[in-house]
Amino acid sequence: MSVDGGELERTLGFLEAMTLGGGTMIGAGIFILPGIAARNAGPASSVSYAIAGFVALLAALSLSELATGMPIAGGSYHYVNRALGSLAGSVVGWGMWSGLMFASAFYMVGFGQYIVEPVPFLDGRGFIILLGLAGLALLTGVNYYGTEESSSLQNVMIGSETAVIVVFVVVGVFFIQPGNLEPFAPAGAGGVVATTGIVFISFLGFEIIATVAGEIKNPGRIIPLSMILSVVLVTILYVLVMLVSTGVIPYDRLGDSPIPVADVATAYLGPAGAVAIVFAAIVAAISSSNSSILAASRVVYAMGRDGVVSKWLNVSHPRFFTPHRAIVTTSALTAALILVGLRVDAIVSLLAEAASFSFLVAYALVHVSLVVFRRADPDEYDPSFSLPSPLYPVVPVLGVLLSIVVVTQMAPVIVAIGTGIIVVGVVWYAVYARGRVVSEGLLRDALWGPPAAAYRVVVPVANPETQRGLLRLAAASARANADVADPELVAVNVVHVEHESPLQNVEAERADHQRDLLENAQAFADEMGVTLRTRALTAADTGEALLSVLEEEAADEVLLGWSGETTGGDAVTGPTVATILENAPCDVALVTLRGAVGTPVGLVAPGRDAASVARRVAEFATVEDVVPTLLAVVPAEGDESAARQRGADLVAEAAAAAGLEPDEYTTEVVVDDDVGAGIQAVIGEYQTVCVSHAEAATDSGAPVRSALASAATNVALVRSAEQPVPRGSD
Amino acid sequence: MPPIDELTILVPVDVSDEPPALDILDVLSPLEVVLLGYFPVPDQAEPALIKDEYEAEAEARLVDVAGGRPDLTEVLVFTHDREATIDRVADQYDCDAVLAPGAVTEIERVLVPIRGDVNLERIISVTARLLEATGATVTLFHSVTEDADESYGEFLLRGATDRLEEFGVDEERVSWELSAEGDPSQEIVDLGNEFDIVVLGESEPSLRERIIGDVLSHVVDDLESPALIVRDTE
Repeated sequence: MSVDGGELERTLGFLEAMTLGGGTMIGAGIFILPGIAARNAGPASSVSYAIAGFVALLAALSLSELATGMPIAGGSYHYVNRALGSLAGSVVGWGMWSGLMFASAFYMVGFGQYIVEPVPFLDGRGFIILLGLAGLALLTGVNYYGTEESSSLQNVMIGSETAVIVVFVVVGVFFIQPGNLEPFAPAGAGGVVATTGIVFISFLGFEIIATVAGEIKNPGRIIPLSMILSVVLVTILYVLVMLVSTGVIPYDRLGDSPIPVADVATAYLGPAGAVAIVFAAIVAAISSSNSSILAASRVVYAMGRDGVVSKWLNVSHPRFFTPHRAIVTTSALTAALILVGLRVDAIVSLLAEAASFSFLVAYALVHVSLVVFRRADPDEYDPSFSLPSPLYPVVPVLGVLLSIVVVTQMAPVIVAIGTGIIVVGVVWYAVYARGRVVSEGLLRDALWGPPAAAYRVVVPVANPETQRGLLRLAAASARANADVADPELVAVNVVHVEHESPLQNVEAERADHQRDLLENAQAFADEMGVTLRTRALTAADTGEALLSVLEEEAADEVLLGWSGETTGGDAVTGPTVATILENAPCDVALVTLRGAVGTPVGLVAPGRDAASVARRVAEFATVEDVVPTLLAVVPAEGDESAARQRGADLVAEAAAAAGLEPDEYTTEVVVDDDVGAGIQAVIGEYQTVCVSHAEAATDSGAPVRSALASAATNVALVRSAEQPVPRGSD
Repeated sequence: MPPIDELTILVPVDVSDEPPALDILDVLSPLEVVLLGYFPVPDQAEPALIKDEYEAEAEARLVDVAGGRPDLTEVLVFTHDREATIDRVADQYDCDAVLAPGAVTEIERVLVPIRGDVNLERIISVTARLLEATGATVTLFHSVTEDADESYGEFLLRGATDRLEEFGVDEERVSWELSAEGDPSQEIVDLGNEFDIVVLGESEPSLRERIIGDVLSHVVDDLESPALIVRDTE
């Protein structure tokens, strides 16, 4: 049965992603904050919005790449947890969760203000808080019972509030009185930056595009495009709202209003305008708060999945299938934050600023995570969109710097609260999470590069008589590469069966044979002092089985023992060997062992195997600690000394490509117009001949083939890994 | 329009609760059936969360519904969006029609309402395969909208009857009915409940349908008999 669970449909196109990102962003913040922003920065608060938008844009760029690289639930939290480990993950997870609670409480207090202020007979903080709590209770109820495919209602809500803002701006620009914009920045640059910290919350929501990355069509294009465009458009809209607001009502008067945008609208659109704004603000507060609750349950889910919080929080409701515990916990803490408003005057700006703080810290760590992912380059990270060259590393570096600048300009009480949350994250990690979570992060890899993989030589063994010789050669090969990485041998034995089936019984005798063979190999490796692992396989197709081992082990070299007999139509090799020769993703040495290795000779011919031949010959020479010979046989073509020089060049080139120093080999050049005869004349002096597999199959390779047939010489046919053999193209 | 060689039907069932027994699967057994068990996941939860908790249970229910019938392809999906999942799975397994199940133990009478020539060829060929597999009789039905010409409806029905016969359906098993009452959806629902199964054509929803809801889904919701919705794969 094919179980295709948890998969999401790629149903979101460009327009849908734009609407989702823009719609989630445009929310209550822009209705509630202009008053506070104007009080703190004057008309220059529009610049604060522009800076906040720019900071959001930088985060959107980094998130675009991360989201296309790892489309998985959890968004920022997940990327940071993966890149920087569970400590940072725990800090960001708690930060985002609490940030979303601050945001949700902020929206609900604003919701209360927009209902209480316009209605003459309602008055007082008590009412505002009460209405905020009522709104929150309503949302909690809805999310507890769960909603399905509620996007159409959401679209209507977001569409109408956006329409109201656009009308507000388009009509409003004609009512700006330039005199109101003077002085432009009464609080100076410091006030502008400090205000940035408050209004950053208005941009929360663009991240939703990264969160639903798995549902977006053509993600490599649409994710970055829709993220960038939605942030830019929303920034322009916010800047205009601020310019209109401070241009229509003097900023000091605007600053006193808890419902600034409605007051501005009254000035030029009359009561109808005010009603529309109040309506839009209420709708916006509800939809923004709802998005925050949904986002919070996603963060809690991701944290629970990684073991950072208890899985108890994520148990879903038996009937509604909603993560009801996470929702109720989020709402209860949010309600407590709203209640603080009974005693604290500046609750709105405090909540906004605290939420902004959490997310600025989170996005700074997202930027760091991007750098870590780029440097560590783990296998699973393969983004379909990556920031082009000048943007990387400029975007992450600037993103971190700007976040730091904005955070340091925040009110001391906010810095204290924010730091407190970070400390909670750290303590939580130390006390609860450390023992439970596995993610170590990629930081180490990013700083010092990925750990070097072992130099791995795979040796298929089948014959107890030849396996010692093969293993000795393989050990020599592995040791010769000890400077590259720890050497490791892998001995494989494949028991051939007719049909592959887990139920197939391999006869006990053959299974015993396999076990003995591999145990002997292990014992011999211990004797030689090399690391060896064994793998026992059962397969219908030996060649394919060996190939899959080479791929799994990421082998650097395979050393294949072989009788030297040719079978059937294949000129040089049999079917299993042919499969390996054609498809192995690493260097191949096909070895016919008949006696002691002695001094080996490598036959260097033009072609891509030359370096491999030189490398193998040097490795084999270490068995008896001798200096190998590299032999070139070249036709005279009339000029013997020129031919000699060509041969010497050929050898030098191959040796250099193999990384051999001039004193590590002896050069021998034979000039003979009959190359085959030249080879024949020389190789009899050596006990081991190393030659390109392709070369051995040509006409001039005849002496090699006859050497194969003779009883005296060891022959190694070599094929380089750098063969253009894409599998499946044939 | 590609002719349909082997009729493949997608049968979606909600596996978040005990699903009803699907006797209709026995009736459909001569046809290829893909049984899609979907688990609707609310917006508040991640599909992976629900999958972790309920996979075993959902799988057991799906196996239960399948009831050991051979030649049944079973698919289990946890989804936020049921419609999108049905579409994707139908595409993936080349399904020609989607069944909205109803309680029925045998299929003897089939109703095929015909709206226009959109998707008609496929509706006819699915109907022909269904008749071949069940041996049922068929009634073709067209409801004339108020401002339309009655003769066009008759033309459609006669044409459809001829095409069915070309597909090898015996003339005696085909009848047709033309109505001029002017409320197609309600008539299809009323008439459909007298039949064992209703074959309906899927069509691209119009802008109006996108806003106020699909006419087809209203009809399907109101029908008590099972409905076979022929996909428009163009």
